[in-house]
Amino acid sequence: MAIRAEAQSKSSLPVQTPRATGPGGFFERHFSRLLPLPAALIMALLIVVPLAFNVYMSLHSWFVSSTTPPQFVGIKNFVEIFGKDVRFWNAVWITVKFTAIGVFLQLGLGLVIALYLHRDFHGRGIVRTVMLLPMVSTPVAVALIWVVMFNPSLGVLNYFLSLLGFKPLVWLGHPRTVLPSLILMDIWKWTPFMVLIIHAGLQSLPFTPFEAARIDGASRLQLFRFITLPLLRPTIAVALIFRTMDSLKTFDTIYVMTEGGPNNASEILNIYVFQTGFKYFHMGYASALAVILVVFVFAVNLFLIRLRERSWSY
Amino acid sequence: MKQCTVRLGKVVTLGLIVFVVAPGITWAQKFDWQMHKGTSIRVMANKNASGEAIQALVPDFEKLTGIKVQYETFTEDQYRQKVLLELAAGTGGVDAIQTATAQEGLKFWRSGWYEPLDEYLKNPRLTDPNYDLADISKPALAGNTYDGKLVALPTTQQTTMLYYRKDLFDKYKIKVPQTMAELEEAAKKLHNMDEGGQKIVGIVLRGKKAAATSQWAPYLLSMGGSWLTKDGKPAMNSPEAIQAFDFYGRLLRNYGPPGAVNYHWYECVSLFVQGKAAMYTDVSNRIFYFEDPAKSQVVGKVGYALFPAGSTGRKPTMEVWSMAIASKSKKKEAAYLFVQWAASKENILKMHLKGAPSVRAFAWKDPKFLAEQKHKDWIEASVKSLDIASTEWNPPVVAVSEVRDAVGAVIVSSILGENVKAEADKANAEIAKIMEKTEGK
Amino acid sequence: MELLTPSVKERRASRVLSTTGYYAGVILICIPFVFVFLWMALGALKTQVQNTASPPVWIFAPTFENFRKVFLANQFLKYIENSLIVSGGATLLALTLGLPAAHVIARYRQRGLALGILVARMAPHLSYVVPFFILFQKLGWIDTYASMILSHLVITLPMVVWIMIGAFEDVPRELEEAARIDGCSRWQVLTRISLPVCRAALATATILSFIFSWNNFIFALILTGPERRTLPVAVFNFISGDEIDWGGLSAAATLITLPILLLILFVQRYIVKGMTAGGLKG
Repeated sequence: MAIRAEAQSKSSLPVQTPRATGPGGFFERHFSRLLPLPAALIMALLIVVPLAFNVYMSLHSWFVSSTTPPQFVGIKNFVEIFGKDVRFWNAVWITVKFTAIGVFLQLGLGLVIALYLHRDFHGRGIVRTVMLLPMVSTPVAVALIWVVMFNPSLGVLNYFLSLLGFKPLVWLGHPRTVLPSLILMDIWKWTPFMVLIIHAGLQSLPFTPFEAARIDGASRLQLFRFITLPLLRPTIAVALIFRTMDSLKTFDTIYVMTEGGPNNASEILNIYVFQTGFKYFHMGYASALAVILVVFVFAVNLFLIRLRERSWSY
Repeated sequence: MKQCTVRLGKVVTLGLIVFVVAPGITWAQKFDWQMHKGTSIRVMANKNASGEAIQALVPDFEKLTGIKVQYETFTEDQYRQKVLLELAAGTGGVDAIQTATAQEGLKFWRSGWYEPLDEYLKNPRLTDPNYDLADISKPALAGNTYDGKLVALPTTQQTTMLYYRKDLFDKYKIKVPQTMAELEEAAKKLHNMDEGGQKIVGIVLRGKKAAATSQWAPYLLSMGGSWLTKDGKPAMNSPEAIQAFDFYGRLLRNYGPPGAVNYHWYECVSLFVQGKAAMYTDVSNRIFYFEDPAKSQVVGKVGYALFPAGSTGRKPTMEVWSMAIASKSKKKEAAYLFVQWAASKENILKMHLKGAPSVRAFAWKDPKFLAEQKHKDWIEASVKSLDIASTEWNPPVVAVSEVRDAVGAVIVSSILGENVKAEADKANAEIAKIMEKTEGK
Repeated sequence: MELLTPSVKERRASRVLSTTGYYAGVILICIPFVFVFLWMALGALKTQVQNTASPPVWIFAPTFENFRKVFLANQFLKYIENSLIVSGGATLLALTLGLPAAHVIARYRQRGLALGILVARMAPHLSYVVPFFILFQKLGWIDTYASMILSHLVITLPMVVWIMIGAFEDVPRELEEAARIDGCSRWQVLTRISLPVCRAALATATILSFIFSWNNFIFALILTGPERRTLPVAVFNFISGDEIDWGGLSAAATLITLPILLLILFVQRYIVKGMTAGGLKG
């Protein structure tokens, strides 16, 4: 009897172990629902509620410093932002420029470096460690060192320029050069990320297409164009998504280096929201801006993910 | 019967004692520094000469009163933000704050965050008889009064001054500029001169947007301009204002350091103490960085002069820093002890000697001070300047921060050589919009 | 001897040259990335005068005065302690909450929760700051460990879940099924089978969560005062009142970056794998 029962239970999957029945089996039965409960609760509290609060506040007008409580104004904030707020559109444009140019350059540079390093050489581990340094270092700390290096009169960057025979630049000191300077810093910080991801992608490429092509007499360039690049497309897509997502969230480095200046020339949307909320204390208006920012980030990411899904299926 | 009378008599006597004599005793209770011994208070201050000078003296207060003080300082921009956040939070977590009423006073007053001090000052139990309100600079007190109520006790006052390298002036035979035209002349002559193997700039001024507005203000006022028109509308595109923007920007653009649009006073001071600038206009307490041998390379080489005259005369500004009680504090009396201690005669003299210029007249004449302060030209310039100075180093509005940003944008444009008139018109319109949204809120 | 014909010698020479050339290229690539840290460390060892010299000073006698000042005058030990407690706490809490959640999402396809995590990763931290400030101020939790650890969960929880979903998906189903047949409860499957298999990813998730929490600036900027301030804000405050203390700034920056740098020296393998694997899986 017992043997048959055992044999029966072994042959059918999934198996309800004896513990799943009865009062003690409550946890077993509802495992999939109970386990994520604490996380879901915290998520709701810490993430959903604040974002919902932002939406709620965006429909009000409230100056934190005043004695008047928040007043409901409906979509007035949004109307003003889209219709009359020049500084908002400036911020959007700066954000797009910073992210697009930055990520694009990081990708290009990262690709070149990854391909160059795609060889078995001594000290690979050291190079990998070196690559990690900029990525994991505290943004605020390195940003301040960059400010020191960017200093027009005393900074070491202008010194190097002078050695190479160029005129010194103002770097962070002029609206026209501030964004390129910040992008330069961003490239320094995040190109290694691209290098590492593409490197991993290269490692996982199948060998056969390359061998076949080489037998067919393909040149290096042809190999790259027709085999490597297409096979790398999914990796590149993922790298793009990740970096774009993070680049849109940039705050620390730019705030610490220029605070959005000079004259809002480097004021990305993130910083504009901060200034409105924590410098001018227009909390209602700031919340509206924050909502727009979140929607904007979400939309961009969705777009990129769709793009990737299309490239993944080939 | 006799017993009743006796008892009645006892009750009456007791009543007399309780209701007549006793209050008289409490009223006659003397002011005692130790009356709140054992409590603790939290004070927030700015990390400038004033805030740091008081910080150094806090142990004295703790010894004097037995009150434990948690004294926090923050760098200027952070400090403004933090104080605002705390007061807005309204949790009563901070008891006393250092405040520059010309910057945030109106807003704080309208929000009900200051505790009016008049009642405290009148109460002999709470106020040290030696406090001496009469000795304090009248404009400073006036600047701290809103709707007839005094909200903060002033501790230091700084005024705009012209700093110049007297060694360079001697070498190139330049006389100390008395007017704006002469200022520009001198800057032009000294700019790019070779000193000790490096080029110096003719003049350094604040260029960083909002930070620059307070130091641009004396230029505006000296050229006959004003923040607002008589009917309270912004006047940033008046011909005088445009002239001031133009002049300030031109000075920095032609004779200032590269990247000046990022210069807050920290950078200006840094440049000056390294000996790389010939002139600098800013508030008067910079002397103590210039004459500190540990940090400065120009010790003994700096001259101190009155702010030059514009087309309508000299109009330097005066920046007053004071101590106030937070209205939601739960320890107001203990906080008041701190506030008046900070603004007391002994303390102000001590700070005066260290580098936070006194808001009390006596300190300037104090023999010890006169003996210690070797730079007579600084004393002279300070005293003369304080006499004629205006307290309007900020626009007299509620949303000071936003308006400063708008004005600062024009200053930056001017430094960069852009169309000043267009920018000024734009800023004026923006300020009108801001004021419409925030005045009376 | 025959083999060492001129062409072979040539080829060997050219190979040596190209190899040296290659390594030179590698070094050239690494230089800009290392230079900034070098400059940071050098600046920390220079005096104010040396730091503000132009042209810059390369050879000088180092001084430790800046470090001493940073530690003594600026309570850096307290800030280090704060950073450790906040980041450690947030990471631990994220692991406690996130591991079970990730396991369930991986095995039982809870799309809703996964989407929520994605949203959390995307939203800029700024959008949390206002609600957090108002909430914590009402609770009186400004400048406490509680508010900091909770707000940092927004950083660590999504990171843990994200990485572990991919890891749990990789655990062979057969392994888990076999355990179930042997009578394990689902909880035991998680703790005794799946988790040990994913040890490497677990290490990665822990390390990355800790690092990103350590580096965070904005929550501490708004939600802390001098008691619970963390290192990034402390370094920012270093633009001090009298003049820019270049040496002190560099020393403070070095002190913040050093722990992380030391950490990655030992665990770089995990970090690289984590960043790339999580990436490839998307």
